[in-house]
Amino acid sequence: MSAETAGPETLGSLSTEPENQDPNSQQAKEIAGKSPIRIALGRLARDKIAVVCALVVLFFIICAVFAGPISHLFGVSLETPLASQRVDGLNNGLPKPEMGPPNGPFTWDHPMGVAPRTGEDNLAYWLYGCRVSLTIATTATIFASLVGVVVGLLSGFLGGTVDKVLTFFIDTFLTIPYLLAALTLAPIINERFSLSDNYSTIQKTSLIIVLATLGWMGTARLIRGEVLALREREFVQAARVMGMPTSRILFKELLPNLAAPIIISVSLMLPAFVAAEAGLAYLGIGVTDGISWGQTILKGTNLTFFREYPQYLWQPLLGVVALVLALNLLGDALRDALDPKTRR
Amino acid sequence: MKRNKPLALVAGAALLTLAACGGGSSDDGGSDSGADRKFGGQEGGTKDAERQGPAADVEGATAGGTITVYLPGDPGPDTLDPTGGWSVTGNSIQQALTSRSLTQYARDEEGQPVLVPDLATDLGTPNDDYTEWTFTIRDDATWEDGKPVTAEEVAFGICRSLDSEAFPSGPGTEYSKNYFDGAADYEGPYTAKDPKCDKWDGISVDGQDITIKMAKPFPDMDYWGAFMAMGPAPLGNASKPPNYGQKPLANGPYKVESYKPNEELVLVKNDQWSADSDPARHQYADEFIFKFNQDQAKVDEIMLSGNSDSQTAVSTGLGSDKYNDANGQLGERLVQQTSQCVSTLTPDYTKITDINIRKALAYAYPYEDVWIAGGEVPGVTRIPANSVMPPGMAGKKEFQVDGAQITYDPEKSKELLAEAGYGDKPYPITMVYYEVDPLAKATQDQITKGYEAGGFKVKAIPVQESPYNVWLDPDNKVNKTLNLRGVNWCSDWPSGSTMIPALLKTGAVYNTAQFSEPAIDDEMDAIATMPLDEQADAWGALDEKIMTEYFPIIPTAFRNDLFVFGEKVGNPTGDGSIGAPNYKDLYVMQ
Repeated sequence: MSAETAGPETLGSLSTEPENQDPNSQQAKEIAGKSPIRIALGRLARDKIAVVCALVVLFFIICAVFAGPISHLFGVSLETPLASQRVDGLNNGLPKPEMGPPNGPFTWDHPMGVAPRTGEDNLAYWLYGCRVSLTIATTATIFASLVGVVVGLLSGFLGGTVDKVLTFFIDTFLTIPYLLAALTLAPIINERFSLSDNYSTIQKTSLIIVLATLGWMGTARLIRGEVLALREREFVQAARVMGMPTSRILFKELLPNLAAPIIISVSLMLPAFVAAEAGLAYLGIGVTDGISWGQTILKGTNLTFFREYPQYLWQPLLGVVALVLALNLLGDALRDALDPKTRR
Repeated sequence: MKRNKPLALVAGAALLTLAACGGGSSDDGGSDSGADRKFGGQEGGTKDAERQGPAADVEGATAGGTITVYLPGDPGPDTLDPTGGWSVTGNSIQQALTSRSLTQYARDEEGQPVLVPDLATDLGTPNDDYTEWTFTIRDDATWEDGKPVTAEEVAFGICRSLDSEAFPSGPGTEYSKNYFDGAADYEGPYTAKDPKCDKWDGISVDGQDITIKMAKPFPDMDYWGAFMAMGPAPLGNASKPPNYGQKPLANGPYKVESYKPNEELVLVKNDQWSADSDPARHQYADEFIFKFNQDQAKVDEIMLSGNSDSQTAVSTGLGSDKYNDANGQLGERLVQQTSQCVSTLTPDYTKITDINIRKALAYAYPYEDVWIAGGEVPGVTRIPANSVMPPGMAGKKEFQVDGAQITYDPEKSKELLAEAGYGDKPYPITMVYYEVDPLAKATQDQITKGYEAGGFKVKAIPVQESPYNVWLDPDNKVNKTLNLRGVNWCSDWPSGSTMIPALLKTGAVYNTAQFSEPAIDDEMDAIATMPLDEQADAWGALDEKIMTEYFPIIPTAFRNDLFVFGEKVGNPTGDGSIGAPNYKDLYVMQ
C-alpha cells in the first residue's frame, strides 16, 4: 500500500507557524503590537545588503550636508587657483609632483589630488558635487512624488471624467522625452537669464523642474492602479457608507495603505535622478558651473588623463556608481521588506 | 582670413573643444627627450619676380604613392569654387595643388615663403601710384582637359570675385570690391546677368596682358594675386556657381577626383599640367586624400601608432595632451608652424576710455594659466605677443609697450588702476564665455581669478552660442553690456594691411574694441598711398604707435599650429604663408 504523497501530516509540517498558535504567546503578542512599517523595518535591519546600502547612503548624505565643514577640515576649497601654480603645462597639464599623485607622493594638502589643467582641488569638487547631486535629486524626487501621489489618488478614486482627463495628462507627459526637453530648455534659460547674478541657481532650479515635471507619471500610474484596487475594498466601502468626506477617505483610509508603493517609487526615483543629473551635466546641460560629478567625468574622459591619471576619472565615477547602486539596492530591499508576498 | 577650424572666427571656445577631444595611445615618449624644436617661423614676405618653372626638385624626392591628410575637427571648405575660397583649409589645399592664380608662394630653404609668379610671367607691373596693375599671362599653362589657360579666362575669374551675392563669403568681397575700379557699382557676372562680364570696365585684356584698374592705390595687388580667387575660370556656364564648386576645372598639378563636402576630397595627378609652366609646384605623389572632420583623439592614435596607415599620412593637428609623446617620439616629423594668427582681448574703447585701465587689463591677465587651463602648451601652441602684427610679418617691430613683455603682474595692475582713480573699489568688467565647453569655463575661471587679483570685478556671462555671434551683433542685449571682448585674427598675406585695418579701423566688422581715432584711420589710408618699399615699415611703425599711444587691444598670444607627418612622407614642412602643411613639396618615400 502506498502512502499519500501529500497528506495532512506532511502539509502541516511545511508550515513554520505553530499548528495551534496561542493568542497569548510571546510571539503572537510581539507581532500584534507592531505596525506594518515597524515589521518592515525589522526585516530591513536583518537584511545585510540593506544595512550596508543604508550606511553608504548615509555617508553620502553626510558628505553632502557637511561639504563645507569637511572641506574646511581638510583645508581645501572650491577656489580656482592659478593653473601654473599647481599643474605643469609642459607635461600635458598634469599636476605638479608636490600636488600628489600621479607624479608625486600622497599629500594631505590635496587628499584626492588636483585636477589636470586647472589645478582645482578634487576633494572639494567631489564633496560639493555630491551636494549638488543629492540636492537636485532629492528636491526633484519630492516634487515628482507629491504630484504623482496626488494625481494618482484623485484619478483612481474619483474615476469618471476626472480619471479620463488626468490619465490623458499622464499619457501626454509620458510622450515628452526628458533629454530632449532638457536640451531644448538649456539655451532658452540661458537666453533669458544669462545676465542674472543667480544664473547658476536658476539653472539648477530649471533642472529640478524639468526632472520633476517629467518624472511624476510613473508614480501617478502606480498609485492610480493601487487606488483602483483599494477603493472596492470593504473598509473603503464602509467609510463611504458612514458618510466620510472624500478627503478623509483619501488621506486617512487610502494613503496609509499606499505607504509601501510610495516609499518604493520614491526610493527608485532618487537614484534615477542622481544618474540623470550627472548625465545631463556630462552633456553640458543642467549644471554648467563645473561643480558636478558629471562635469568632472567629462573632463576626466580625456584618454591621456585616463592613462596617466586614472584617479581623476574614477573619483566622480565611483561617487555616482556607489550612490546610485546603494540607493537602488536599498529601494529593492525596502520593497521586499514592505511587501510580505515577495519575501526571499 | 577665416579659419574653418575656427581659429580666427571662434574665440577660444570651439578651438578648445577640439583640444579637449585629444586622445592618447600608450607610448612612453618621455617628457624630457624631445628635441629643442624650432618654429617654422615667417620673416616677412620676400619676392622673386624672376622665378620660372620648373620648380627646383626637392632633394631625394621620389614620385608615386598616396598621401592621406587628416584634418581633425576641421569641416573643410564648403565649396571648391576658387572664387569662394577664403578659409585656411580650402585655400591651402587648392592653391597648392589644383587651382593656379596670378602669383603664388614658394618655400625657400629657410622655410620662408617667397612670392613668385604663377600664371603671370612676373609679379605684375603697377603704375606709379598703384592704381593700375598689368599682369602678363603665360601661354603654356593648361586646364586639366588640355586646353590652354587664356588671358580672357583669367580676367573672367577675376571678374567673378566681384559677385558678392554669388560668393558671399569669398575674399573678393573684401579686396576686389574695395580696391578695383568700378567694383562697388558692379554686381558681378551672375547677379547682374552679365555672363561675359562686359559691363565692368575695370579690367582689360590685350593679347596676353591683363590690366586691372584700381579705385584707390592697391600696392598689395601682387599678394592678392596669390589668392586662387585671382585665377582663371572657364567662360560661360561651365563655371556657374554653385555647381562649379563641386568639381572645379583644375589647372594645377592635381585635379579633383571626388569631393564629398565635410567628408573627403580626393585629388589625383593632372597629366595635362606641365612642370615647365609652374615655378613652385611639384607633382610627386600620385594621389592626395583629404579627410575632413576627423576625431582628434583617433587621428592622434593613428599618427603615433606608426602602423602602415600612418606612414604616408599627414595630420593638421595634434591634441595638446599628446604633445609630449609626439615631441619625444616623432622628432622632425612633428612640425610647429606659426599660423600668422594673434589672439586678442578688446576692451571697449567707448566704455574703458583710460589707457591705464586697458594696460591694467593686460597686466592682470594670467597668460600662462589661461593657456594651460585651455589645453594649450605654453610656449609651443601659444607664445607671448607684443602687438597685433604676428611675428615675422614684414615691418613688424620688436618693441614692447612698457619696455618689457607684459606678463601676469596683479600688483602692477592695481597700481595702474589706482593711477586711473579706481584704487579704492574694484573696476567692473563684463565679458562672455561659451558655457557648453568645460575648457572655456576653466579658461574663464582663470581670467576671473587673475583679474580679481588685479583689482577688477568680473561678471562673466555664460552664452550658449559662439561668442562671435554676440560680439559682432550690435543689437544683442548681452553685447551691449560688455566692456571686454576678444578677436582671433589671421593675416591674409604678410602685410600689416591685412591685420591692422581689419581689427582697428573705425567701423571694421571685427573691430570689437570699437576703437575709433580719426588720426589713426587717416594714417591707415595714407600708408596705402606710400611707395611700396616703405609700406611694411610704415605698418610696423603704426602698429607700434597704436599700441604705445592708445593700447586699444590686448594681444594675448601668437598662435602656432602643430602638424604631424607619417614616417614615409618626405619633406615634412609647414607652409609659412598660410598656416598649413607645405603640400606643394610633399612626397612619399619609396
